[in-house]
Amino acid sequence: MKQVSNMSDLFERLNDLKVVFRYGQRLIPIIQSIIDFMKETVPLLEDINTSIADSTSKIPKAKDQISNVSSATELATTEILDIADSISTDLDKVDKDLKALLEKEEKKKAVWKGIKNLLGNNPDAAKLTEEFEQLDDSLSVMVNFRNVFEKIKNDVYNITLSLQVQDITSQQLAAVNHLIESVRQRLSSLVMHLDETELNNIELLNVDSNDDGTFNPDAEYTKSMDKQDMADSLVSQSLNKASQDEIDKLFS
Amino acid sequence: MDLKFLVVDDSVTMRRIVINSLRNLGYNNYVEAGDGKEALDKLGADGGINFVITDWNMPVLSGLELVKTIRGDDKISKIPILMVTTRGVKEDIIEALQARVNNYIVKPFTPQILKEKIDQILQAA
Repeated sequence: MKQVSNMSDLFERLNDLKVVFRYGQRLIPIIQSIIDFMKETVPLLEDINTSIADSTSKIPKAKDQISNVSSATELATTEILDIADSISTDLDKVDKDLKALLEKEEKKKAVWKGIKNLLGNNPDAAKLTEEFEQLDDSLSVMVNFRNVFEKIKNDVYNITLSLQVQDITSQQLAAVNHLIESVRQRLSSLVMHLDETELNNIELLNVDSNDDGTFNPDAEYTKSMDKQDMADSLVSQSLNKASQDEIDKLFS
Repeated sequence: MDLKFLVVDDSVTMRRIVINSLRNLGYNNYVEAGDGKEALDKLGADGGINFVITDWNMPVLSGLELVKTIRGDDKISKIPILMVTTRGVKEDIIEALQARVNNYIVKPFTPQILKEKIDQILQAA
């Protein structure tokens, strides 16, 4: 009986083995397709790795170009400011000369009045003096010149005020550079995980951190007075508070 | 009182614009600094400075740190400070006021605003 039982066990085990083989046969194509998939994926991953490494290596150049734009605009702005200063200085000189001429004209008027008195009631002289006075409009012309020069000076000053845009855009560009650098760092770390050897080809730069607050990422050039109005309101509230404790309490 | 301004900004352009505006307002006495540390050096070396116009975002030492340092130094703590910055968020303005700036201008500024704020500070002083 014991022999029969052993044989029965053996057949059971063989049956189990048969089931395993059957499953194995079904699994073979699946395993094969996994192997095929991996064979296809590995070059793809290598391509991705190379692309990321390539893109990462180009980022420092992009950063440099943005920095160059910032430097170039600052240089151009300085040149404009130099020219504006030069124009203002010249206008000041002309204005000074015109002012002196106007003073002379006022003196000339007084002298002319004396001459007219000396000429008395001579009708020929009266006709000539009248003709002369009609021709002599230098005083009003000079006054007009001064007004025009004043306007030009104001316009030049307003141009220089508009150049505040340079400071604001350079802060915006610095913020973009900071973002680019963050992306570069992430990509570098990704490349490192994919293939450490590729990292050797990438120039590692220090991150331009904004921890030191060298730029304001929210800087904007706008004519809106909303922010200034809010600042005025807050300043006004703080001015009404006498002590620092009260100011701290107000804003806490 | 003859005012001597210290104009602090890391942007050369902004310093020149502020100084041009001061000249237009009739203030011709000024010195410049490119960051907070340089400003403190100038304040230490030049006892005649009696008005500070400063930016916030600067390298080495920020405008806010400059304000705090000035307010913490008995020798110069009373100098009026006008902050001129691109930072226009409420929290920033409050932070600057808590650091005890006398007034606050959000860039870009107009000459009228600059005059108004300088006058307000001088009247309150």
